[in-house]
Amino acid sequence: MSISLLLAIGGLTTVGIYLITARSLSRIILGFSLLGHAAVLALLTAGGPAGEAPLANQNDAETIANPLPQALALTAIVISFGLTLYLLALARRQQALTGDDLVEDDLEDLRIATLAANEEDDE
Amino acid sequence: MSADDLASGSILWTLLVLHLLAVPLSAWVARFDHRAGLGVAAIAPALTAIWASVLLIDSTNPFVTELMWVEGLDVGVRFRADAIALLMTLLVSGIGTLVLVYAMGYFSTSSAQMPRMTAALLAFSTSMLGLVLADSIWTLFIFWEFTSITSFLLVGHKDVDASVRDAARRALMITGAGGLSLLAGLLILGAESGTTSLTDLAPIDGGRAWVAALLILGGVATKSAQVPFHVWLPGAMKAPTPVSAYLHSATMVKAGVLLLAITGPAFTDVTTWKVVGLALGISSMLWGGITSLRHQDAKLILAWGTISQLGLLVTLLSVGTAKATFAAISILFAHAIFKAALFAVVGEIDIRTGTRDIRELGGLSRTMPIATAVAVVSGLSMAGVPPLLGFAAKEAAVEAALKLSGTDALIVSTSIIVGSVITVAYTTRFLLGTFGAGPDTTVAPRRPAMTIATTVLGLGSIVGYIAINAVNGIVGPAAVEINAKADVYSLYRWPGITTAFLVSAAIVAVGVALGLFILRRVDQPAPGARGADLVDHGLDRFLAWAPQPIARIQHGSLPVYLATMGLVALTATIPFVREVDTDSLVLWDNAFQGALAVAIIGAAAAGAFVNSRLGAALTLGAVGLGVTGLFVVHGAPDLALTQLLVETIIVVGFVLGLGHLGRSFPSAHATWKGVRVGVSVLCGVGVMFGLAASASNPSGTPPIEQLAEAAVEEGGGNNIVNVILTDLRALDTLGEVVVLAVVALGILALANTSDTEATT
Repeated sequence: MSISLLLAIGGLTTVGIYLITARSLSRIILGFSLLGHAAVLALLTAGGPAGEAPLANQNDAETIANPLPQALALTAIVISFGLTLYLLALARRQQALTGDDLVEDDLEDLRIATLAANEEDDE
Repeated sequence: MSADDLASGSILWTLLVLHLLAVPLSAWVARFDHRAGLGVAAIAPALTAIWASVLLIDSTNPFVTELMWVEGLDVGVRFRADAIALLMTLLVSGIGTLVLVYAMGYFSTSSAQMPRMTAALLAFSTSMLGLVLADSIWTLFIFWEFTSITSFLLVGHKDVDASVRDAARRALMITGAGGLSLLAGLLILGAESGTTSLTDLAPIDGGRAWVAALLILGGVATKSAQVPFHVWLPGAMKAPTPVSAYLHSATMVKAGVLLLAITGPAFTDVTTWKVVGLALGISSMLWGGITSLRHQDAKLILAWGTISQLGLLVTLLSVGTAKATFAAISILFAHAIFKAALFAVVGEIDIRTGTRDIRELGGLSRTMPIATAVAVVSGLSMAGVPPLLGFAAKEAAVEAALKLSGTDALIVSTSIIVGSVITVAYTTRFLLGTFGAGPDTTVAPRRPAMTIATTVLGLGSIVGYIAINAVNGIVGPAAVEINAKADVYSLYRWPGITTAFLVSAAIVAVGVALGLFILRRVDQPAPGARGADLVDHGLDRFLAWAPQPIARIQHGSLPVYLATMGLVALTATIPFVREVDTDSLVLWDNAFQGALAVAIIGAAAAGAFVNSRLGAALTLGAVGLGVTGLFVVHGAPDLALTQLLVETIIVVGFVLGLGHLGRSFPSAHATWKGVRVGVSVLCGVGVMFGLAASASNPSGTPPIEQLAEAAVEEGGGNNIVNVILTDLRALDTLGEVVVLAVVALGILALANTSDTEATT
């Protein structure tokens, strides 16, 4: 397994997680895209080493790269593309409504906190 | 059609599906006429009862039928119709049918709740059927939980009454907790025994067996209302009587006993199993009986009596000798019949006189002769008086108790004998208190549906005694399923003057005397529901306390949630750290990979530090280009082309979408930044280790050549990746297209809503 690819995956994951734990939705989207890249590369490396393009009429079956993870990765790329664009649309909507793109604390969860605070007051 | 034709999986599945279809149908019919609804509901159980009795009489070989979902993981539903399963099926469906008929009389008006009641009764019957027929531990557990949920709905029938809701909640909480305990126990049992089949369980021992025994007994004790988990059962008597007669005498409470019986063979070498089982059984037998003597409500007398009888069953099964097992199965059978009859009679009294208090009842033998006859027959059967089925079964139990040897024999047999005396005593008190002298009560007219059902149940105890050979044919093989040595035993109509018979006679004599003595002290106050109050109080306190820890865990911050999830996922890689084989690692497949990796990491890191939004979008584009390059180097031209296209659109999207936002990101708190860096670095390293470990241990060589061959010959294309996408995984690709279409619609909707409209 190629250490270069491993490091690229590790680096993308690290920055990706750093960014999705941010409060700003646009940063989260960036992080999400990076994690998508990491996942696709991980699929590829799991399938074996690099090789020639998997074209049956041009290259020999013994020298080509594993085509199966490539097919899976293609799906992954397309889906993460769709999701990224949708998140962008959400961020734009959020900006239109509130003026910024910050992810607020969950309202239902805040209600539980209120409940707990009331309980403490009662005792 | 012979019995062998009926012994097939397709019939079993048909009956189950019939049950499932009838659930909504009966509810729908009950909206118009509740009797018709109950009638529709009764069809499937009636057919099932007939099916089970035909198979039981013409004893055919047991058969297994399964519907597998994931073969390798043994995930699926598997049923087995053997002697014990068919015996339980007969009880569940036979008594179920009678209870549904009885309910036609019990519920006089078509209230708005009748559709729910009808559907829940049949759904319970279906769950119970699945439970008793289950052959795999998963199937058993799923149906076990279904019975808990449906019984919650049934107990909580009168949902406007707060005390009813409390009773239903209590029952659900206790049996639900027991269900969790059971799941854990079954998991250990399955892992230790090496099989998920309940019939192939091998004896297990050691520390884990000990834990599994305790956990499974937790399930048994909660479901079968064993002391100290019995507190839900008396409260559940707030349910309508058809429900009590069905769930709390004949079926659901027997589920625990059945579980004890069928998992017993796995725990023959585990002392804990026997000791705890005996402790539960004996304390329930005695405490249930004693409390039964103190109650004035006829239904509660029976309910506590049920706890006592269940204790006897648990005791006999925990003793584990062949004779005791045989006796337990016999009593299980006899008890279902006489206890259902007694509950049904009490319900009829309740409906026709308006009270269940034995102090207020009198003259019923004159005004309700049929009900009285049924109660007397069933009561005597419960007390173990000939010529009734209960007598034959009780004889077997007494014989089993007398035959015990060993250190614990004295305690066990004394307890069984004392328990039997108390049983006779509360039966005497119940019969004389309810049907003996007392203030005359006004009695409403008889309702035929109720009379039919109670009479059939009452006749059951007599017919069972007359046709003792048929009963032997049912309970004998069932006992053999649990203990192979039980095949030498059978029930006798008349055992002759044996020691056991003399002991039984003494039990009846002492019990009657005790019952008469206590009956005279009629004005003692009934005991309060202290255990139930304790449970309710505990639950309320728990619910009041729960928000505090939850508010700490579930604080609402998305970043913290994500960081926590990352850390938890990280722990999954820890076991694999040592699996990494450094020999399989190379610096790069070719030098371009190294250069591109450096470029990607650099661009990504820049993306994390850059403060302007536009700059961040550009670094993302740079990373995308780097990844595209890696695809080219890897030999994946399709990926490279797609990635290039996608990356371009995303960067454009960023610039368009975020154009309205400020130039820079809002600043974050410094300490939190440190935590984020720590978590993300750990996660990145974890992913690297996980991947390296998985690559070090390949589970085979990839089928590249087969794929290449199949792509050309079967797919008719040379680009193997394309053939996989459009041919092998065509359905997935279609799904992918649908996802994109949905995303496009979503984006359109989000972009088209005017800003002012949404703020209102």
